[in-house]
Amino acid sequence: MWRVTIKGLLAHKLRLALTGLAIVLGVTFIAGTFVLTDTLHNTFDSLFGNVYQNIDFQVRGVAQFGSGGTATRNPVPESLVATVQRVPGVEAAEGSVTGYAQYIAPDGKAISTGGAPTLGLSFDPNAQISALRLVQGKDPTTPQQVVMDLGTAQKYGFKVGQSVRILLQGPTRTFTIVGLARFGTADNLAGATLAAFDTSTAQALMGEVGQFDTINVVAQPGADKTTVQRDIARALPRGVEVVTGQTVVNEATNAIGQALGFLNTALLVFAFIALFVGGFTILNTFSITVGQRTRELALLRIVGASRRQVFRSVLGEAAIVGLVSSLIGLGLGVLAAIGLEKLLSGFGVTLPSGPLVFEARTVIVCLVVGVGVTLVAAISPARRAVRIAPVAAVSAQQTEEEVPLRRRFTRGGIIFVVGVALLAWGLTAPAIALVGLGAVLIFVGVAMLAPAVARPMASVIGRPLARLLGTSGRLGRENSMRSPRRTAQTSSALMVGLALVSAIAVFGASLSRSATASVDNAISADLIVSTTNNAGNGNFSESVPQVASSVPGVTASTTVYGDQFEFRSSLESLLAIDTKEMSQTVILSTTSGSGAPALAAGDLLVDTTTANSDHLTVGESVPVKFALTGPQTMRIGGIYQPNALVGHFLVGDAFFVRHFQNPLPGAVLLKTDGSTGVQQAVARALAPYPNVKVQSRAQFEASESAQVNQLLGLVYALLALAVVIALIGIVNTLMLSVFERTHEIGLLRAVGMKRRQVRAMIRSESVILAVFGAIIGIIIGTGLGIALVSALHSQGITNTVVPTSSLVVFLILAALLGLLAASWPARRAARLDVLAAIAAD
Amino acid sequence: MGSALHLRTTKRGRVALTDQALPAARAGSPAARAVDLRKTYGTGQATVHALAGIDVTFERGRFTAVMGPSGSGKSTLMHCMAGLDRPTSGEAWVGDLDIGKLDDKGLTQLRRDRIGFVFQSFNLVPTLTAGENVTLPADLAGKKVDKEWFDYLVGQLGIADRLTHRPTEMSGGQQQRCACARALINRPDLIFADEPTGNLDSNSSAEMLAFLRRSVTEFGQSIVMVTHDPRGASYADRVVFLADGNIVDEMRDPTPESVLERVGGLGA
Repeated sequence: MWRVTIKGLLAHKLRLALTGLAIVLGVTFIAGTFVLTDTLHNTFDSLFGNVYQNIDFQVRGVAQFGSGGTATRNPVPESLVATVQRVPGVEAAEGSVTGYAQYIAPDGKAISTGGAPTLGLSFDPNAQISALRLVQGKDPTTPQQVVMDLGTAQKYGFKVGQSVRILLQGPTRTFTIVGLARFGTADNLAGATLAAFDTSTAQALMGEVGQFDTINVVAQPGADKTTVQRDIARALPRGVEVVTGQTVVNEATNAIGQALGFLNTALLVFAFIALFVGGFTILNTFSITVGQRTRELALLRIVGASRRQVFRSVLGEAAIVGLVSSLIGLGLGVLAAIGLEKLLSGFGVTLPSGPLVFEARTVIVCLVVGVGVTLVAAISPARRAVRIAPVAAVSAQQTEEEVPLRRRFTRGGIIFVVGVALLAWGLTAPAIALVGLGAVLIFVGVAMLAPAVARPMASVIGRPLARLLGTSGRLGRENSMRSPRRTAQTSSALMVGLALVSAIAVFGASLSRSATASVDNAISADLIVSTTNNAGNGNFSESVPQVASSVPGVTASTTVYGDQFEFRSSLESLLAIDTKEMSQTVILSTTSGSGAPALAAGDLLVDTTTANSDHLTVGESVPVKFALTGPQTMRIGGIYQPNALVGHFLVGDAFFVRHFQNPLPGAVLLKTDGSTGVQQAVARALAPYPNVKVQSRAQFEASESAQVNQLLGLVYALLALAVVIALIGIVNTLMLSVFERTHEIGLLRAVGMKRRQVRAMIRSESVILAVFGAIIGIIIGTGLGIALVSALHSQGITNTVVPTSSLVVFLILAALLGLLAASWPARRAARLDVLAAIAAD
Repeated sequence: MGSALHLRTTKRGRVALTDQALPAARAGSPAARAVDLRKTYGTGQATVHALAGIDVTFERGRFTAVMGPSGSGKSTLMHCMAGLDRPTSGEAWVGDLDIGKLDDKGLTQLRRDRIGFVFQSFNLVPTLTAGENVTLPADLAGKKVDKEWFDYLVGQLGIADRLTHRPTEMSGGQQQRCACARALINRPDLIFADEPTGNLDSNSSAEMLAFLRRSVTEFGQSIVMVTHDPRGASYADRVVFLADGNIVDEMRDPTPESVLERVGGLGA
């Protein structure tokens, strides 16, 4: 029986290739993701290992919030360096500080990193301890000197001896580049820019005079490290700890690991979506081929093949297709990983180079998932194959025992309802896995129900085509109505793809509108000064508010800060606003308590969402904690309407600066007298600060929407793969249909149909298939999107928007893609040799 | 011929799993028989009686031809007797097995081990070579192919030099001889041939019929053949005539002329 399976596969290489392509693409995605993240993980591990290889211990403040590499810590006093150095067994101890320093490129624009930090740090002359390795020039020794990372220097053409302007916490200053350095073995740290100053300059620039963030310690050779660590710990005051160098390395790599884990999961989600869609394609292809092989399978049954053997034969075919495709996908995945890495570095994210990591886990996951999806998809066709009666080989009668449609619809309906229930449960819980499972069940259920509407819908969709194209269109329409089951199955893959795209479109439009609405509801200022950093959450110099507010025409100015604090033992974002002139720039609709007076009094304000969920009332006291000042009790001074821009917690600026280390402004809100040219004047005044931009409220709103759209673009790009796989499914079905109808097409040609008309006929059918899938997909996707948006109402997505124009565009695109998918099968059909086609059995 | 008889004895031992009867007793029992076999399609006014209660016995070691006009129920009778189709009522026996009582698994085993098929349209698996097609029933049964028997069959049928060819690379006659070897490879109790010469030219037809005749005479094979062709029917020991789902006549030791005369009488 195996021989029949394998020979059958080899005889239909094209079919095999088209079926496998869906799996190849999905597995490539998975393998590429794993190889990329494993490789990055590995290179970061070795980078940090290399950077800290000589450091035995690190002395630092105890974590206030969080833990490990991402914890918030307070600085330690400078005097501790001498204390540590006196501990027996300590060879050297050097303090270091890290803070904000952003280079200005020769063209006058701030060098932004696309999310990576712009770091200023102290240059440690002790090469044993320093993370920086000087490759050119010399150490910085005066307050005017800086050492630049090699990556930034190469990218922007800076050379030793040149001067460079650097944005700092205080005023912008000009420095001379005296040296270029690597971070460990890398040209820079994953796209972060580094500016290293001599220690006392760094302390002054970072606002940590007399303080260090960490003290790195090297033990004497031969000293017992456990004893040394214990002795250092004894010498330290409360709130300061000493950890081993290895701990620091582990924390750093764990932090990277978490970030990469997130990237990994995000990419894998899209890979699995692609494979899920691929599953539909495979199901459809196998269904059709089983149908076409009815005679052959029946013949095998006649000469003695058991049902079990037929079942295994179809599944065996699927297993081989799955295995071969998965192996090809694995190979392509490695290439994809290399490509992705190149792509990232093209965007300026210089990643430390390292050998590609190809873990056994990658191979196992890819093979299991690739073969698994193919097998699961083939089960239903295999069961149909088993139901073929032997007599089908010798008689023309329809012998396949169809599962009664009513039973199929009942099952589909139940699966659909269970899916909706799981989705609803998952959205309210909230549990993302349940949402995913619910969506999968909804898609499966709809795919099972779709044949019920396939015939009438194909008829309606095909009507204009029939009118437009005459006979060709009418035949195409009738072909698509011929087998509702096949039409529905073929469209299912596209249905899933478009449902996801539509759901994202609804989500994005709602998010965008909500963001705009929250700006209108929170800001009454005319101009908004904020950072140019792409991430949009950077801070800028504390001198900016002063400069901006003194521009003629500016009547009021409010500085906004943001940071994190602990509220009832959970880490939360905290926003602070300057209370003096906030009535002119900020809209705060309080539902109880007071706004500005409470903020000025140092009270905490919360939004109604938080007040409701935590059962808070005005006048109540709540426990909070700040990194700098430790645990406190705050009075709830007021409760305000939720607003995504403001967030859940609000305090006054006076309170804020007392409780945070070196607070930097995040935004400045300006009210003007309305005279023209004020915006330009403010922009001119702020020219020395290239990392800030001045926007009118309309511009600010537009840029908020633009950010959402950028994110949407990325998601669409990742979903495109699923849509491509769905199209391959349509190509496959049409090819098989053309093959199946060779005789019929030959007949049409014989009685006078032109090649052009044959092509039009196949194209009409394809467009009907695509539009059918798109319509169902868009309906379901819109439903999913609305469900998602309403579940996130409390998270600040307050407006539900169905972007009708986008959805119409999707529908038109689907029709065009259908046309594209038909081009090859249509050409093939048109080229059929009339005589041979008629002679064919 | 001596070797053929020897091989047949070997096979007896193997097939004994379903039939414990002694060779002598089996020789006396019919190869297959139908008892009041009925098959109807449709209901009410549209009811068609493809088989209207047929009683017939196909003797062991004999070559029986079934004749009749189109729609007389020849193929339906064969399908029901071979377990390919379920009769509406009545009994169908192959040897001592009431095949109406067999489930799908039993029917599969019956077809695999005790029945061989030859069809008008050859019905070879297009992706397999001639040799692979011949051994297919044995492969499906998970049996080792009896090499001696295989060589004997392909030699007798003249396809020994065609074994590595695909069906599309062979003539109709060669394909049908290949199908014939496939039907015989598991040494079935009974061969059903459905118009085996319908798609062949007269030379190939004659060769095919001669081979079927020889397998009956030389190694006692039982064959039931449905045919339109009086000349083909004349190779049989006995001809059964069907019309409108009933057996209307039968004839022993037919000649082409006598069959033609009889068919003419039936108006076919």
